[in-house]
Amino acid sequence: MEIGLTHYLVLAAAMFLVGMAGVVIRRNSLIMLMSIEIMLCAVNVVFAAYSRMHGDLSGHVFVLMNFAVAAAEAAIGLAILVEIYRLRRTVNVDELKTLME
Amino acid sequence: MEIYLFYLFAALMLGAAVMTVASRNAVTAAVWLIFSFINAAGIFALLSAPFLAILQVLIYAGAIMVLFLFVIMMLQGPVLPAEREGRRFWKLALLAAPAAAIAVVLVGWVSRSGVTAFSDAGNASAGTAERVAGLLLNRYLLAFELISIVLLVAIIGALALGRREEDQPWR
Repeated sequence: MEIGLTHYLVLAAAMFLVGMAGVVIRRNSLIMLMSIEIMLCAVNVVFAAYSRMHGDLSGHVFVLMNFAVAAAEAAIGLAILVEIYRLRRTVNVDELKTLME
Repeated sequence: MEIYLFYLFAALMLGAAVMTVASRNAVTAAVWLIFSFINAAGIFALLSAPFLAILQVLIYAGAIMVLFLFVIMMLQGPVLPAEREGRRFWKLALLAAPAAAIAVVLVGWVSRSGVTAFSDAGNASAGTAERVAGLLLNRYLLAFELISIVLLVAIIGALALGRREEDQPWR
């Protein structure tokens, strides 16, 4: 059987689910950020697969945009984490509930 | 050949992603994630996107993950005790139910509609740096400029967040 679009879409869906699971079950906010990166990577695979499907390279351009967004997200997210750690001495999201109280 | 490579890269990428989510230690998780992204680069290469494959290794596995490792190693030690146990099993069960439902839907969809093959149009145009740059700097020039503003704002935001407290007039 030949490898087609469907294979890549199913792979991306599975990858996205793994990332989503990471955001939901982990309490360490560093690993939650990494799970967000996993989800962004799954989206990139979908873009590239449809680009290959239609023979149009626009999808590749938007994967590049996604790279930039991922880099910005990592930079800001990690800066916020460092600041939270400086203030609260923890990065465990269970203990960061000031807004809830 | 393509089949074997696809399944190899896909299995390694998914397995490494699962290990990222499952590992207790943040450094271990980051190294697994680097491995996952390198296999994603292999997937991009299979999709005739060599430029994206190279950028995936350079930007994701290189720059972004080094940033992650840097922060983890700065915070680790007294900071990141092992995650507390408890409620873990319950959470896993809560997660397994929707995941199983989605898997059933996916399998049903694939078995009903069959596998969509790629058209030959995609084969002719591999995403080399030259072709992608041609699109990026002509048709998508506005998006390119906007994304550079996003990066600029991210830099300024990270700098503002990272300043020493006495330098922050808004405190």
